Amino acid sequence: MLSFLAPLFFVGLAAVAVPVYVHLVNREKKTVVTFPSLMFLERVPYKSVRRRRIRHWALLALRCLALAALAVAFARPFARRADAAAPGAGGAREVVVLLDRSYSMARGGQWARAQDEARRIVGALRAEDRGSIVVFDETAEAATSPTADVARLRAAIDGAQPGWGRTRYAPALRLAQKLLAESDRPRREAILITDFQRRGWDGREDARLPEGATLTWRDVSDAATPDVAVAQVTMRRDRAGDRDQLVVQARLTSTSACTGTECGAPRAVPVTLTLAGREIETKPVTIAANGAGTVDFAPVAVPAGHTRGTVRLSGDALARDDNFHFVVSPTQALSVLVVEPAGARANQSLYLRRALELATQPPTRVDVRSASSLLPADLDGRALVVLNDAAIPDGAFVRKLAEFVETGGGLLAALGPRASDGGAAIRALLPVQPGDVVDRGVDGGRLATLDLSHPALEPFSAPRGGDFASARVLRYRAVQLADSATALARFDDGGVALAERRLGQGMTLAWTSTLDTYWNDLALQPVFLPLLHRLSRHAARFSEARTSRTVGELVEAPRRGARSTHVAESPSGATIPIGDSTSAARGALALREAGFYTIRAAGAAPGSGEIVAVNVDPAEADPSKVDPEAIAAATTGAAGAGRDARPVAADLTPPELEGRQMLWWYFLAAAMLALAVEVLVANRLSRRVR
Amino acid sequence: MTPLGFATRGGADSRLLDPSVLARIDDLELVARVVVEGFLGGLHRSPRFGASTDFAEHRPYVPGDDIRRVDWRLWARTDRYHMKEFEADTDTNVTVLLDASRSMDFAGPGSAITKLEYAKRLAACLLYFSRRQRDRVGLAVLTREVRELVRPGAGQLSACLHVLDRLTPGTDGALAPPLRVLAERFRRRSIVVLISDLYEEPAAVVDALANVRGRGNDIIVFHVLDPAELDFPYEEAGTFEDLESGVQMPLVPGAVRERYNALMAEHRAALQRQITDARADYALFDTSKPLDHVLYSYLAARERLGRAR
Repeated sequence: MLSFLAPLFFVGLAAVAVPVYVHLVNREKKTVVTFPSLMFLERVPYKSVRRRRIRHWALLALRCLALAALAVAFARPFARRADAAAPGAGGAREVVVLLDRSYSMARGGQWARAQDEARRIVGALRAEDRGSIVVFDETAEAATSPTADVARLRAAIDGAQPGWGRTRYAPALRLAQKLLAESDRPRREAILITDFQRRGWDGREDARLPEGATLTWRDVSDAATPDVAVAQVTMRRDRAGDRDQLVVQARLTSTSACTGTECGAPRAVPVTLTLAGREIETKPVTIAANGAGTVDFAPVAVPAGHTRGTVRLSGDALARDDNFHFVVSPTQALSVLVVEPAGARANQSLYLRRALELATQPPTRVDVRSASSLLPADLDGRALVVLNDAAIPDGAFVRKLAEFVETGGGLLAALGPRASDGGAAIRALLPVQPGDVVDRGVDGGRLATLDLSHPALEPFSAPRGGDFASARVLRYRAVQLADSATALARFDDGGVALAERRLGQGMTLAWTSTLDTYWNDLALQPVFLPLLHRLSRHAARFSEARTSRTVGELVEAPRRGARSTHVAESPSGATIPIGDSTSAARGALALREAGFYTIRAAGAAPGSGEIVAVNVDPAEADPSKVDPEAIAAATTGAAGAGRDARPVAADLTPPELEGRQMLWWYFLAAAMLALAVEVLVANRLSRRVR
Repeated sequence: MTPLGFATRGGADSRLLDPSVLARIDDLELVARVVVEGFLGGLHRSPRFGASTDFAEHRPYVPGDDIRRVDWRLWARTDRYHMKEFEADTDTNVTVLLDASRSMDFAGPGSAITKLEYAKRLAACLLYFSRRQRDRVGLAVLTREVRELVRPGAGQLSACLHVLDRLTPGTDGALAPPLRVLAERFRRRSIVVLISDLYEEPAAVVDALANVRGRGNDIIVFHVLDPAELDFPYEEAGTFEDLESGVQMPLVPGAVRERYNALMAEHRAALQRQITDARADYALFDTSKPLDHVLYSYLAARERLGRAR
């Protein structure tokens, strides 16, 4: 059925009357010119009366046809398939609308278009049809169950908002698969409304719609508008005099669908650093389309406490990636308790203490105590305890030490001459049971094998990562590995040099020689310092606090010493209990929004607690697109995907139908053809008359 | 200089001979006097050559000359043949036949004078000029018949001018019937000057003239046309109406101009050829030409006729 977008142009059909008028109606002017004699004029072979009669019907028909075709072309015709327009054709439908709410949909007018499309699809549902709305980003959820209530569907569409997550098609398609599989309607369709970002589809998804179901789509992408995002913020701490300084560097990326010269000139973008809600500095960055740039802010004093920071640029087409949030935390110092035996050798802990105190990441504070004067309270606030050949009798301290290790503390024991003097309780904590002393003679032994794949030793795996073989070991203590302990290093005679054992949430390490120059000269080797730093960090399970996280990550609630439940305040102000069944994992918080979360113990004052900065995934701003046909082919089977993947004509607006079909082009071509034939015929007739 | 080698007078008088100026003078005698006197004043030699008894001059004999006019006395003195030229014959009848058919009442766009008015002034000039030559002058006005006739006579000039003065366009015209009638009336040999637009087939014109020519008269045909008839300068489409028959024809001038001009040129060429073949003189004038040009033509024709005698 042929319809017209601009039927007023049919007024132009009146132009068809022009040739007829010229042929029939137009008479010669009534001006009479007297002339002496028509004697010669009558001989001229020109009969004006011939104009009063139509002699060349074909010419007239061609001219009329050309004008009519022009009028039809300008009226912009389009065809509606009779079967698509007929109500009830093909039976009742089950329609699942998959509405992409990833943050990239907030770009320009994409979200409004997506909602319009969804409303249009819902509006086209008939009484016997059923529809459901599925909103998705990384996860998919059904905003409505399948229903024939159009008002409910519309409300679900109106209530949906673009989120902060990134696009993943597979969860949505799997949900659509489930909804369609449960339907009893004869026609089952899933309609995907999205901007078709390539990163949401890797081609290996296992979503497959039920047999007979079709997948159609609406591409609402508007990637022509360039978008600049703050992709990353890095912080570096410098020491200037006696003060710590913070140097913030931000990396900006620009994404656009344009290429080459059509992208225009690079533009300057003002970028602002904010700390604790106060603007620190604004600097312009010149960035080209599809380019990147960095901005270095001037050093600032490290603020006290946990401080919220944001690098922000002026709003553009996609505002959600214009802010990058981070948390500046105070420097975390590692508190180490070194225990010496009573009557220790001179400088027994000298090398150990000096080496630990030189550490900067983290800065390490070392306290040395004698085994004879130890109190359980000495363990408070410690991250690591080093037993420097100290024999500790059973008692309150050892019990406290055992608990310390169980709850995540670290223990490093150097087994020297007095290692065997300790009580059974302390030996039960160690990864090895000390045995006899092994004397390697004047030449000594060497460290021969190290497990360089172990996290503590992994940095030494690089070429020239550390010359352990240069250290000479004169004596060491033969040991027996405890259950669940592993040897990380051995001497050239096969004796265990370093062993590790996990104990509860903590870690214990045993070095089977001394940490001074009494039994070996390792303390004099260059490798001693980094080795001791790695072992202390590993044993204390130290990890640098992350300054920011990405939407979609899970954050564990604080563990140590806290068995109470926690709650989180989201950037939008919602309070989320952690460990609730609604969270993705028990005891963890799924980060759904960009901004600052606050995690605190239930009952603590609002605003207190740990701050977590959350940012959107910058990869989501990448406008490169996946071919919708590929998704349709993968989810509906290659055969027939090409046909079924086309949008249903009944759902399209007349301008869309007209734009898709472009029938005017054919009519225009017909008009041109008719005029060309008319010229040929007219020329031929004209020659014949002469 | 004119084509015949005569010089005309200065610009002021030439301007007086312009048809558009003459058209504003109603007094035909005055027109004729202005034209003829001005014309005669510009001649370097006497135009009056003929077979009178007044000796004019000698000229060398050329084969074909009448040996009766050889000056034998001069031959006896010089042993060369010379012809004796005499003053013009003053006993000649000159009759102007003026076509006053409806088609002559036409002035094209840009023309100040109709063909008939031009022809009337031309006739007046010829008659006046002839009278000054001491010829007997007469006039016949023709349409399809002889409308007016002034028999040639020595005192008929004023009658002729009077007839011309009150002449109006007639109906349709045809040469043969009136010329047949007139041929009966010419009792002595005359110089017959026909002034017409000659909208007839050349053969018919020659046939008609043959009636007059057969009586021994000398015939001079002045073909008078408006420039618009020669060039067909019309641009706008319209209905063209035949002045004589009243037949109308709608046409686009641009589409027929080329063909019309070709037909007109062919007609003129045929007229000239056939009239000349019939031993008559033919000259074409459009109404933009000064009248003294016509007099030159007439004079040249008279000279030829005189020599022929």
